[in-house]
Amino acid sequence: MILVIAAFALFLLMGMPVAFAIAGAAAMFFLQNPDLPYTIPAQQTITQTQNFALLAVPLFILAGNLMNHTGLTRRLLGLATTLLGHMRGGLAQASLALSAMMGGVSGSAIADASMQARMLGGEMMARGVSRGFTAAVLSFGSILTPVIPPGIGMILYGTIGQVSIGRLFAAGILPALLLWGALAVAVAVSARRNGWPPERAARAPRREVIGAIGAGLWAILFPVILLVGLRSGFFTPSEIGALAVVYALIIGIVVYRELTRGGFGAAMSDTVADIGAVMLLIAVSAPLSYVMVLERTPETIAGLIVGLPGGLEAVMVAVALAVILAGFVIDATVLIIMLTPILLPLIRSLGGDPVHFGIVFIIAATIGNFTPPVGAAMYSVCSILNCGVPAYSRAAAPLFLAVMLVVLALVFLPDLVLFLPRALI
Amino acid sequence: MTGRLRRAEVWLAGAFVIAMVAMIFTGGAARLMRTPINATIDFATCFFAWATFLSADVAWRRNRLTALRLVPDRLPPAARWRLDLANHAVVLAILGYGVVAGSWLAWISRTRTFQGMPEISYSWVTAALPVGCALMILTTLGKIRDHWRARPRAQT
Amino acid sequence: QDFTLRFNHVLGPAEPFHEGFLAWAERVRERTGGRLEIDVFHSAQLGVEEDIIEQIRQGANIGQNTDSARLGTYVPSIAVVNGPYLVADKQEAFSLTDSPTMQGWLDELAADHGIRVVCFDWVQGERNFFTNTPIRTPEDLAGQRIRTPPAPIWQESIRALGAEPVAMAFGDVYSGLQNRAIDGAELVYSNITARNMNEVLEYANETRHILLVNFQIVSEQWFQGLPEDIRGVLVEECRAAGQATSNRIADVQEAAKRQLVAAGMTVVEDIDMEAFRAAGLKAFEVLGLGEAAAQIRGELAN
Ligand code: NA
Ligand code: NA
Repeated sequence: MILVIAAFALFLLMGMPVAFAIAGAAAMFFLQNPDLPYTIPAQQTITQTQNFALLAVPLFILAGNLMNHTGLTRRLLGLATTLLGHMRGGLAQASLALSAMMGGVSGSAIADASMQARMLGGEMMARGVSRGFTAAVLSFGSILTPVIPPGIGMILYGTIGQVSIGRLFAAGILPALLLWGALAVAVAVSARRNGWPPERAARAPRREVIGAIGAGLWAILFPVILLVGLRSGFFTPSEIGALAVVYALIIGIVVYRELTRGGFGAAMSDTVADIGAVMLLIAVSAPLSYVMVLERTPETIAGLIVGLPGGLEAVMVAVALAVILAGFVIDATVLIIMLTPILLPLIRSLGGDPVHFGIVFIIAATIGNFTPPVGAAMYSVCSILNCGVPAYSRAAAPLFLAVMLVVLALVFLPDLVLFLPRALI
Repeated sequence: MTGRLRRAEVWLAGAFVIAMVAMIFTGGAARLMRTPINATIDFATCFFAWATFLSADVAWRRNRLTALRLVPDRLPPAARWRLDLANHAVVLAILGYGVVAGSWLAWISRTRTFQGMPEISYSWVTAALPVGCALMILTTLGKIRDHWRARPRAQT
Repeated sequence: QDFTLRFNHVLGPAEPFHEGFLAWAERVRERTGGRLEIDVFHSAQLGVEEDIIEQIRQGANIGQNTDSARLGTYVPSIAVVNGPYLVADKQEAFSLTDSPTMQGWLDELAADHGIRVVCFDWVQGERNFFTNTPIRTPEDLAGQRIRTPPAPIWQESIRALGAEPVAMAFGDVYSGLQNRAIDGAELVYSNITARNMNEVLEYANETRHILLVNFQIVSEQWFQGLPEDIRGVLVEECRAAGQATSNRIADVQEAAKRQLVAAGMTVVEDIDMEAFRAAGLKAFEVLGLGEAAAQIRGELAN
């Protein structure tokens, strides 16, 4: 295991593409363990592309690219500028709002972040937001995705821990709003500190707002239609990505009539490169996860925490910190599968509520998606926006802090999590 | 790789993505009409594998794979040149493994079938990895050739 | 410690099977003086079943809990065990080990495909239909989209019983029901409680149409590399732990049923069993397993 980590650090520092650094590090483990078939890393890499939950990733990337060439993005941004243009970093705020809406649609933070990076990233940078901050906001915004139902993390946790998934779904809503609020404050503070000018001097007059809403109607309807499709049961979560693509095509060809043959070709060409950059990384991370599971690495980390003294709150803070640290290199899904059966009995024995703990745990595990050195959402957005990791990390620091404060608040004020499930179920 | 082949690769990868959309949509529509087709999901995930590994080569060729360039960018040109040559060598080794292990897997798993289509071999999925890795080897060799041509004068 | 077996299964850590596997591991460790360690991984942590089987066939020291439908991919006849109403109860399932026909198929599996069945005395309970409308006859299932595991025998069995099979991963069933992508599932009682599926299902219809027998498989190459005494212990303790677990499961199913009734689920008991049995026979014919099923039934009758 130490050799794997050392090799990974070395390859990363050598400046190798992260995907190859991960693949090379995992290979070290199999060189050390000749009793395992040498084909396992290849097999796990392939199997990752057969994962039903990841099917939405390429589809949402395609939808995002198509929207750029159909006029949807331009109108959505026009609306955002009219509504939020008097605020500093108004576009960044708009992207958070979009994340909150998309969070109710997509189960995957990576799919959500990738689509928005493609849709909004270029425009945000063109309007003066730094590359690093654009990437950081678009990436962190998708932390709302797993907490707003239906989140894959909640389904996994509820299944393994035998916790009501319905209650978990209800419990995620208020923390998601808190996360949104905290991120919005962090964005406002960063915008002021960096002196990004507002795009307009004053709030837009009502007539202009109505006009912009009319122009952006189909863009506003986009997440609404996806949500209704999902909630009404007409579409399964994996089909929503395909619906998004079809929606963008219909708008571009029939409604706005702005999608040209050339525009479609450009969208496809960008889509292919985006998918390659994002999916290769996700695919090759599978053998590394396999090695972690085989070596029971997360369980070892959890074992250290279980031995800690202190009451429920101290243990929960320690768990959250350890999970966030582990998340720096381990995928959220793997963490939830491995740690739920170990941590939940501990929390129950201390008198903790499994729904309360679950929400804190899922958020903590998801944070790893956005942090270096290994974070799938971070790499997806950075590769789409061509942003360096150091620039990303500097810009992401205040957002990370905001999220951490919310996690602490949730630990110490369980009612923030438990109020809705008590009231609704 | 010639320009025509490159365009064909992008076109093919894009076609796989579009085919994924078509399959998933057909599956959903069929289910709503109460005549579920199980094979659509199998086709979609099979196309997913091909889209992933063909696209990976496109991304690699367009330098779209993220890297941490903190250390190399602070090195003198000659040292950076050598380091990047070493990087390319390691990448070649990894891709070589992908071709060998992937081909072997595709061969031994020919009796393995799709979950919903017992008549079609799973090797159609497995083969995407070695093919993608082989294409990436060609791309890497091209990068090494360019890298060699751009070697610092002091080196020669 | 001379040998390690990493053993993977798809069930959760709270299911009786997981404890059964841990008990198997513990007994093997004791009786071999620690020379063989079994390291159990729940929730498919080591990967999907098909990948594990591929690793097993390459000689890896990895094991997997699987079912006869999956093994039927290699030796088609083995799939009959998964057919509707093949064995009456768990005692009959345990005695399948003594069937010469069955042993012949298992030897073929080991010799031709490298997969060694250690034992298959692991009965997961009777499968019933769980739906949102009451089911009493095969006709009541008409037009219902019922989730099944993605195996041909399973699909044909469910089709023969009157429903429209939809292949879906077990992990997707809850959201599938919630989104009405499917109308129901055929599972055992404890599956429902384990995943809180009573939140999205109303009726438990006790058709008992399949007795789910699980198979513990390892690599034939690895198995033959074990000393003979260890091989003996591995098999004996597998059978013992499996039978104990199967007995425990019967109690767990009862408890799960009570829990579901308390949670408001309606149990339908007045099932037209004759009609279901007759319908089930069609499945074997469609799959060309009629002869194999008759052979097994004949040997069990003796
Ligand atoms: Na969500
Ligand atoms: Na991370």
